[in-house]
Amino acid sequence: MRMSRRSLVTMAGGTILAAPALRRAAAQAKTITFGGSVPLSGGAAETGLNVNNGYATAVKFINETFGGVEVAGAKYRLELKLFDDASDPSRAVTLIQRQLDEGVDFFLGSFGSPIVLPTAAITERAEKPMVQAGGGSDQIFTQGFKYVFGFFPRATRQFISTADFMHSLKPALSNYSLIFTNDAFSKTAAQGVINSMKEQGIPLLESYTFPETITDASSVLASIRAKTPDALVCMTHDQDNLLLAKQMIATGTNVNYLFQGLGPQLGSFRETLGAKANGIFFQTYWDERAPLQDKFFGTPARFAAYYKANYTRPIAYHVSAGAACIVTYIEAMQKAGSLDPVKVRDALAGIDISTQYSRIKFTEQGDGDPVIMGPWIGQVVKGQAEVVAPAAAKTAEYTYPTPAWDKRV
Amino acid sequence: MLAIQTIADGLVLGGLYALSAVGFSLIFGVMGVVNLSHGAIVMIGAYLTWFLWHAGGVDPLLAIPLVMAVLFAAGYAAQRGLIQLAVERSSLLASMLLTFGMALMIRNTLVLVFSPDLRSITPAYAAHPLILGAVVLDPLRVAALAASLVLLGLLAFVLQKTRTGRTIRATAQQELAARLCGVNARHVYGLTFGVAAAFAGASGAILGIVLPFSPPDESLWTLNAFVVVTLGGIGSPSGALLGGLLLGLISTGTSQVIGPSFPNAMMFLILVLMLLLRPSGLLGNAFAGSR
Repeated sequence: MRMSRRSLVTMAGGTILAAPALRRAAAQAKTITFGGSVPLSGGAAETGLNVNNGYATAVKFINETFGGVEVAGAKYRLELKLFDDASDPSRAVTLIQRQLDEGVDFFLGSFGSPIVLPTAAITERAEKPMVQAGGGSDQIFTQGFKYVFGFFPRATRQFISTADFMHSLKPALSNYSLIFTNDAFSKTAAQGVINSMKEQGIPLLESYTFPETITDASSVLASIRAKTPDALVCMTHDQDNLLLAKQMIATGTNVNYLFQGLGPQLGSFRETLGAKANGIFFQTYWDERAPLQDKFFGTPARFAAYYKANYTRPIAYHVSAGAACIVTYIEAMQKAGSLDPVKVRDALAGIDISTQYSRIKFTEQGDGDPVIMGPWIGQVVKGQAEVVAPAAAKTAEYTYPTPAWDKRV
Repeated sequence: MLAIQTIADGLVLGGLYALSAVGFSLIFGVMGVVNLSHGAIVMIGAYLTWFLWHAGGVDPLLAIPLVMAVLFAAGYAAQRGLIQLAVERSSLLASMLLTFGMALMIRNTLVLVFSPDLRSITPAYAAHPLILGAVVLDPLRVAALAASLVLLGLLAFVLQKTRTGRTIRATAQQELAARLCGVNARHVYGLTFGVAAAFAGASGAILGIVLPFSPPDESLWTLNAFVVVTLGGIGSPSGALLGGLLLGLISTGTSQVIGPSFPNAMMFLILVLMLLLRPSGLLGNAFAGSR
């Protein structure tokens, strides 16, 4: 179809005249925008994608099922404005600053303490709240920040329940060795292990500090074989834990109790190790079979079913936590009866709600309450990540002492 | 006994470093190009091997020849189609920027195709430790060392004893003289890049069975290759082997004697010392990249 010059001019003129009306229509569709960055590429992308999918699932579900949310008598649709920070703190800082300049009032966190820490400092200065499920380093919660709320207890408090569980084991553990890496989360988490184990009276035999990325642990494992600790606690990241487990298997390095904080929760980790993964202990914050209630999703099982219907990526606790960040924000906004960031911040500080992830209650410093939001004890049982303690959330019985690697078939 | 274990572990690790660096060394030595996409090519090798193992059940060590063939072809094409153009039309610096861009593109393509999730290749023989008296060795790392030595020996043979190898060395030493003798230097550069990419791919296959990997790891292997080459000398398999073994021994020795958080610090200290005292490396030669 050919278009004459006259009809083109007429159409352009009509569009220009209609523009104010279109702008008014856009203004009537009220939205609440959540800004932030997430690592969709780079070293932290594996878990970053899970956090991102959690945020996206909650927004999609609430918009689709409820048509948005009501705050102070007005209906709002939810909108996400998240960017890929490529696991790079400096890139994340630039992106967050740009969003602040554009007027974003509410922020969601990235994944990884090295990114969350500098971005939280910026939102704090701007007095805009950030709710995050990606940073547990103590530094985030001990600098007097008022606007940052984290779902995980600070790193030094994350091992309390595990140390308590380890103390209860029969035969009793006589000692343990500790492996950690030289990064913001791992170092403080390792300090938490030392503190918690000391309180339980389990002595530290040896600790080993690796650089941020481990490429070879053979000399440390040789030392562990020589000193034979009862338990080995690895406060390292997914990739490091997989390498450590593979090298332990390949060199026949056995301990009665192997704990790996991150990794065994992931299907890819368990698939790689196959039957050898059975018996590895870990921490978990969520299970879809947990008896919890959520204002929007109902139960963890219903949340999981909705997620699985919309995503092919396997579900993980970070997905659930990401979704709960959105729910927590909404409940705080409704409690505050306002979208004023300062009032929402005050509501977040006093919040005590149940979600499909967990009961949500923050400490005065903004991290997750270590008792209410602390981790459960998990173990890989028949290739599945199961909760073995506490009793209320238990999905399987634990095995201890764990069999030697060559007996796991 | 711990000392013997440490040395054994260091040699095994060193074999990996050597193989992963030899391609980088060859390109640097022959063409004077610092190939910043080297680590990304290593990662392609790792993912190709993982794919063959995961989808077709092909043993990772048996997959090496196929991976090398694919990457040889891709490397030759990349050199003739991209890098040669950058060098001829602009400068060596442009080729560095180009290879950096290639690395970013490869990394992100791998993320898109394979996701950023960790991958690892675990053949059945991975779970049986090799016990030699009091020394316990990881069978995968020993297999990796053996494969590295075989491949490095093969490369040394090709470079020293074959007509193609002599042509590559001649072009590396004096490009103009080689051209005057009738050597097609562009073809030689293409061959060199192809061989380097093939060896990078082979090292990726071997690294894949030893270490969990994901696309962002590419920068680590470019950096390691740079250190190995600086230590051992540019352009020769023997230089890469010496540099790699030394780096492996430094890494495990430092980890055992000083502490596991110090191998990187020691590695870079030695890198700085080498650059100050013997910039051409321990087995430096007269190749263009060494001058």
